[in-house]
Amino acid sequence: MSDDRLTSAVEATRFQKQWFLQTTQRARGGEPIAFLNADAPHEILRAFDIPYVVTQWWSSIIAAKRQGPAALAALAATGLPDFSVQYDAIPLGEQLLPEAERPWGGLPQPRFAIAERSGDVTQKIFEQWGQREGTETFLLSRTAADPVPSDWWELVPHRWEEAFGAERIDLLEAEIRELISWLEERTGKAFDEERLADIMALGNEQAEWNRRTRDLIAAARPTPVAVNDTMPAVMVPQWHRGTQWAVDAAKRLYEDVAERVDAGASLCPDERVRLMWIGRGLWSDLDMYRRFQDEFGAVFVWSMYLGIAADGYARYGDDPVRALAARFVGITDQLYVPPWSSQWYVKEAVSHGVDGVVHLVADDTPGAGLITEALEQQGIPVLEIRANNADERSSREARVGDRIAEFLGTRVTGR
Amino acid sequence: MSAAEPVRIGVVGADVPRQIVLAAGATPVRLFGAWEGDTSAHARELLGAVDAVAVRLLDDLLAGRCDDLSALVVCNDSAAHLRLFYVLRVLASRGDVPFGVHLLDAPRAGGAPRRRFVSWQYARLAGFVSEQTGRTVDADALGRAAAREARLVREIDRMRARRMDGTCSGAAALDAYRAALTLPPEQAADVVAGAVEPASGAVPVVVTGSTHPASSVYTAIEREGLRIVGEDHDAGDAAWIGAGVEAATPQRAFDALAEAHVARPPAAARSTSAERAEALRELVSAAGARAVLAVARDLDDAPAWDLSAQRAVLEPLGVQVEAALRIGADEAVSAVAEPARRIAENQGERA
Ligand code: SF4
Ligand code: SF4
Repeated sequence: MSDDRLTSAVEATRFQKQWFLQTTQRARGGEPIAFLNADAPHEILRAFDIPYVVTQWWSSIIAAKRQGPAALAALAATGLPDFSVQYDAIPLGEQLLPEAERPWGGLPQPRFAIAERSGDVTQKIFEQWGQREGTETFLLSRTAADPVPSDWWELVPHRWEEAFGAERIDLLEAEIRELISWLEERTGKAFDEERLADIMALGNEQAEWNRRTRDLIAAARPTPVAVNDTMPAVMVPQWHRGTQWAVDAAKRLYEDVAERVDAGASLCPDERVRLMWIGRGLWSDLDMYRRFQDEFGAVFVWSMYLGIAADGYARYGDDPVRALAARFVGITDQLYVPPWSSQWYVKEAVSHGVDGVVHLVADDTPGAGLITEALEQQGIPVLEIRANNADERSSREARVGDRIAEFLGTRVTGR
Repeated sequence: MSAAEPVRIGVVGADVPRQIVLAAGATPVRLFGAWEGDTSAHARELLGAVDAVAVRLLDDLLAGRCDDLSALVVCNDSAAHLRLFYVLRVLASRGDVPFGVHLLDAPRAGGAPRRRFVSWQYARLAGFVSEQTGRTVDADALGRAAAREARLVREIDRMRARRMDGTCSGAAALDAYRAALTLPPEQAADVVAGAVEPASGAVPVVVTGSTHPASSVYTAIEREGLRIVGEDHDAGDAAWIGAGVEAATPQRAFDALAEAHVARPPAAARSTSAERAEALRELVSAAGARAVLAVARDLDDAPAWDLSAQRAVLEPLGVQVEAALRIGADEAVSAVAEPARRIAENQGERA
């Protein structure tokens, strides 16, 4: 077994911590920072040179530092729910923790909090941010996935008008323009559309590297890298999307993987079972992904982080604001809305030659059964686990490891 | 189907402008699901972790209990309903539900871009319903549809007054609203006019939180000595009835309806807690309520996020706020009894 972590993963993780410490230091010195959800149009903040921290990433750090339950308890103590959309809510509670318990010194009060109104309560969580001293909230609409033409991954890079429907894009484009004015008023800076065009081009370049990496891993036997390694190696650059650093990081990941493939390296030379992980990462227990190698020769070869980075983000077009709207208008629909979700998971499962799928069903995911059904129709067994990734209490309850072992022992036949 | 029986269009959620459906010659029939009853593993599997009422709704549809409908419109007015739409769209494409399913996606926030999108959604809705009935939605048809709801609106106003003076219980009012949301307007007006039932409870309260699919929970609350004089959920006072607009063209009517949509009472799942708290304060003061009971089902989390803002606005005014949150499947009737009793005791002492 190979225990060498990918250089690109180690580098990305180190870079992100440094970046966070520097950024928060500057924020404590009075520079404005923003707090954004993963499905909000980050590129606008980048074009304004406003550093931003992403909810889902920050939640994953809080969970990794085992402060999720404390953050939720702090939230409950203020009369807010500790049981609802925890992954979005945890950072709100983190703000309330005693200085010494805050991961990496904590997130300073952001100047701006920006999110799409997804689900029923994200807007309320961001509304709470806006009620704290020093923060203002901006909310964007989240329209529903309608229409849903087949094989979205073929359409979204260039034919995005067709993929999402012009009207949905019209609305988000108009709202992004509202956001631009809102930021112009508050920062006194003028928006630079050419700068945004450059940022979009860099984001597309990064997506192309991710696509090459994904294709390489799909074809490689045995699998050369661990998903818990590609997760940070892909995700950290995603939070810096639109920078040269992120393009270079995505390229380094490709080169790392290519080098391993050329050298015939493998995660588990005795690979007998190839697994796909559907759902958010189990950030509170990343080692879990490696736990089934010795007993079952089972390796996780796929997670959505690289998959969606490869297929989900590239948007080409002359109008950068509209292309940006097309990038975010259905970004989560691609992953979560049937039949788009099931079509895509089947495509990825087939191209990666997986023998089984572990599906962590988040509480905001519809049609999990349809995904299972579509995969099983291809002869691929699926284990569904219901747990919230950021909340250790609930993943412990779901006994993730035990259930995967049982699944491997009874339902999955490898080579 | 005889000529006398108009096409019935099922509606999930509260965002459909009834004027459009009526103008196309159909009756909008709101589907509510239920407070109680088993849910099938199949429906739970399809929807995932979601409000049990939505699961029961899916069960109704899968069991063919709604097969007399000609089509179904699902509103994106809650995450549960949106999930229901996504699942039904797949099921309809396989023939597992026997009619077309259409999404109505109407963001609430107001402002020109949202209004444009909503207006376009209404035009699409008109097209969809017209396909079912073969009747075009033109300005005349829209005008006639608005007129048909006029008496219903007057009867609802009268019923509201009866609720305040104690001659119509909350449970009776909720039943009448249900009729208003499922019957042709003329029949519905008769039912609402007949909603007279002296309230047994004495303490006037307002109910906030989840939508009530039936009046059983109101009955349980009122049994404790309370009188529900108003509510902010869309199966009651916040239902969208009689929003008819006058306009020279359908396009102008859709624009005006999109404008009216923004002015509706804020919805738990689609509005901010500040908007919700302020609207509740106005409702409580208009209805002369002495307390608020927040009732929210498990997995319908939006009301739970509103509660702290609602308390902050109401408690300084001396309005007692009690809550039954995360109510599990089949637990509603028992879950509300305790907080209702706390209100009755406390307000009884004060009186
Ligand atoms: S089973 Fe796989 S991971 Fe375990 S020692 Fe053998 S090769 Fe290494
Ligand atoms: S991405 Fe993973 S490894 Fe990197 S900082 Fe976040 S939790 Fe740690």
